[in-house]
Amino acid sequence: MVANPIFRLPLGRRALQRSRASSASAGGQDAWGALMTAAQEGHGGAYRRLLTEMSNWLISYFRRRLPAGDVDDAVQETLLAVHRRRHTYDPRLPLAPWLAGIARRKWIDQLRNLTQRPLEELLADIPVADHETAVTSASVLARLLDELRPTQAQAITLVKLQGYSIEDAARETGLSLSAVKMNIHRGLARLTVMLEKSDDID
Amino acid sequence: MTSTDALILNLSSDLAPVRRRNMLREIALLVALGAAELGVILWTGAMRPDMGLVILSPYMIWKMGSLALLAGMTCTIAMRSLAPPASSRRGLMLALGTAALAIAGGLLVTSAADSGRSLLDRLSPVHGMLCATTITVLAMPMMAALGVLMRRAAPVRPKESALACGLAAATCAALIFTLCCPMNDPLYIAVWYSLGVTFVALAARWLLPRRFRL
Repeated sequence: MVANPIFRLPLGRRALQRSRASSASAGGQDAWGALMTAAQEGHGGAYRRLLTEMSNWLISYFRRRLPAGDVDDAVQETLLAVHRRRHTYDPRLPLAPWLAGIARRKWIDQLRNLTQRPLEELLADIPVADHETAVTSASVLARLLDELRPTQAQAITLVKLQGYSIEDAARETGLSLSAVKMNIHRGLARLTVMLEKSDDID
Repeated sequence: MTSTDALILNLSSDLAPVRRRNMLREIALLVALGAAELGVILWTGAMRPDMGLVILSPYMIWKMGSLALLAGMTCTIAMRSLAPPASSRRGLMLALGTAALAIAGGLLVTSAADSGRSLLDRLSPVHGMLCATTITVLAMPMMAALGVLMRRAAPVRPKESALACGLAAATCAALIFTLCCPMNDPLYIAVWYSLGVTFVALAARWLLPRRFRL
């Protein structure tokens, strides 16, 4: 198993600077970086190992940031982006911040996709089977909801994170069905804009 | 086997070597484009006829020096923004601050003769619009080249990268245009050059991220 620095990293600016510093002290090369360098030269085995380890990290990353039903899509989209853009990795730098940058972009894209889906489709795939898992996951997303209007945050929390049906959420909040739908839609759109503008969200 | 495992297997089988992104190669491409535009200006005789006399004047040193500095800064910011995890926001703010300082520095090189003229006379809107339009036209090839580079690279903040690319293309174009522009009044330069640069930057910010997918 390759030592994996990124599992220990929150993805803020300080963390990225720490990662750069530790990588510089290790001669500018990390274990994932070495695998990616081999992959850039056409080494399929190293690439498979790298993508497998990356996918484990990405699952953990997106579970804290997206509703459960969107995690797999986000992981696969990110792996495809890594594959398409692997020539942009500079072997003199650590790979962790490079991957984190791509994962963050895909997180934003995934949230934007949620807002662009038709409302009925958006709501159809919302309920999650395991409420306990859903509540404890998406912790970063839940924290970000504090920045939204209370009605938007509540609608997203109930429906997207806790798996309530739209009718149950309307009953819980005392809002109409269409108001709950609109709050989810507008809240996710606002969240996407906030993420675009912010540099660091751990 | 999960769908992610299948994807990984698919991506890693028959893996071809890739040519790494090289920032120096990209900068060389931009320099070559700028040199080609410069060549066209010299070849068509569009350079201002008194260039030999004014090249060392304070306003010319201010104009060319400020634009060369801004072009260098914005090109570096744009290039750096094309790979993760770089954010160009601080760089863009720094470039904006430098531009503001450069404009303020123009006060120091404004001649007494220019200061005495009316505002409309100094701004000369007809010539000004022509200058801003020419800067826009000169920036197009470089903006297109930067757009291609952006699509081949991995900008994780595509809107910021697009803005940086637009500013880089526009400031390079403005620098090249200084060879043709017969105007010496810093107020004129500040207003109309800024207008041309802003227009190109906004166009790039709107155009370049369209249909972009990391």
